Amino acid sequence: MRTSVLIFVWPLILVAAVLYVMPLITRAGIFFGATVDPDFPRSSEGRRLLRSYRLQLVLWSVAALAVTLAWAPEHPLLGGLVPMVVLLAAVSIAYWRNFRVVHMRYGITRPEVRQASLSPAAAQANLRVGLIAPPFIALGLTALYLRLHWSEIPERFPVHWGADGQPNGWAIRDAHGVYGPLLMGIAMSVLVLVMAWVIARLSRNTVMRSVTVRSLEVLLYPLTLTFIVIGLLPLMRPANPAAIVLLTIIPMLLTVVGVMYWSYRKISVPAPETDVSPEPQRDAYWKAGMFYYNPNDPAIFVAKRVGIGYTINLGNKISWLVITGLLLIPLVIALLPALVPHAR
Amino acid sequence: MSADPTLRIDLDSSVPAYRQIVDGLRVLLVSGKLKPGAELPSVRRMALDLGVHFNTVAEAYRALADEGWLDLRHGRGATVVEREAPPPSAEQLDEFRNRLRSLTAETRAKGVPAAKLRSLLRAAAEEL
Repeated sequence: MRTSVLIFVWPLILVAAVLYVMPLITRAGIFFGATVDPDFPRSSEGRRLLRSYRLQLVLWSVAALAVTLAWAPEHPLLGGLVPMVVLLAAVSIAYWRNFRVVHMRYGITRPEVRQASLSPAAAQANLRVGLIAPPFIALGLTALYLRLHWSEIPERFPVHWGADGQPNGWAIRDAHGVYGPLLMGIAMSVLVLVMAWVIARLSRNTVMRSVTVRSLEVLLYPLTLTFIVIGLLPLMRPANPAAIVLLTIIPMLLTVVGVMYWSYRKISVPAPETDVSPEPQRDAYWKAGMFYYNPNDPAIFVAKRVGIGYTINLGNKISWLVITGLLLIPLVIALLPALVPHAR
Repeated sequence: MSADPTLRIDLDSSVPAYRQIVDGLRVLLVSGKLKPGAELPSVRRMALDLGVHFNTVAEAYRALADEGWLDLRHGRGATVVEREAPPPSAEQLDEFRNRLRSLTAETRAKGVPAAKLRSLLRAAAEEL
């Protein structure tokens, strides 16, 4: 198989794998986004619903892969984007149908009891400086190393490669060209930290909050490693730099899988009966089992019912400002490389 | 597990959230679980954790500040202050007697024996 086709195939396989395990990455007592008895997922009906979802996922994934193999890389839209969108839409519908079945036939109602800690210190989480500092120090040391070996950096070096693995963008040996990847790494890391800080300060005191904040802090490590490797490429001058960049995906993937597994272990522990769940309980707040809508809840960020992390309260007006901001982030990231002048 | 005091409310209850917050905090204040100098979370944080509107918590804090339990500072949470319980007026005693009679009648109507009710009242009076 050609490397260029693999670039289109692996995201599909990755997404399908995540969707396959996703229904199980949830809190005890939640199944397909609906509130159930903690033992229901292991019942025969629970297992049947999971099998039905997975069968549909597998069939749609195979269809999406077939379309990708037929059209990529010559037609990136038809061979890359369209199969991915169709796969996500079809699996979302399968998920939503299972949510309805579980909620209507097997759903239970838990009391809407809430609890607040009266200690201001316990009410919010904090970022761990000792955990987040090393990636930034590593980026700084890399910049220092590049400065000390400035004369060994070629006058012109590749910084971007096409789907065929051939370089299609170059930088020159100046401050922007050499330090650009490291600056990009700092920008991305700060973005991750802002997300962690916002969740630490603006979400309820839950296990999900602590695992999400810690996970984001840990993800800084593979993220900065990627930018450090890219930053050092002009000095390393490997035979196949594109392959080196692709290899940095491996630590990222391993970290993501490790963090997801650790988070799953943390959130899936059944809470004692006497404990109060800090998050809203009613299924009615969860549209299609995925989207949270509760105008009476002042929270902007609410722990997801399925998967790790947070979703946005669509019933809160401020949330729409946040969504607009989040949509602007990719735009800003897309504009960042423009700061690095390319000598074509 | 932390031993920090917590406030618990039931959003399904017929008792308004504001009343539950005031009553719940007052129990902690009278029992001494919240001592003078203790800082309560900000209105925003408390509202977020309880899933109620900011105004509901702000109103509850104001009510307790009016009773002399809390000192409210702009932009901060609320601080528990030393409070001298003023002697109750005749009207307050009348109101209290009426509320207690209503509660007693409701409890008795639900089948709680008088002896059990006496022991519950004694325990509550000793605890608070």
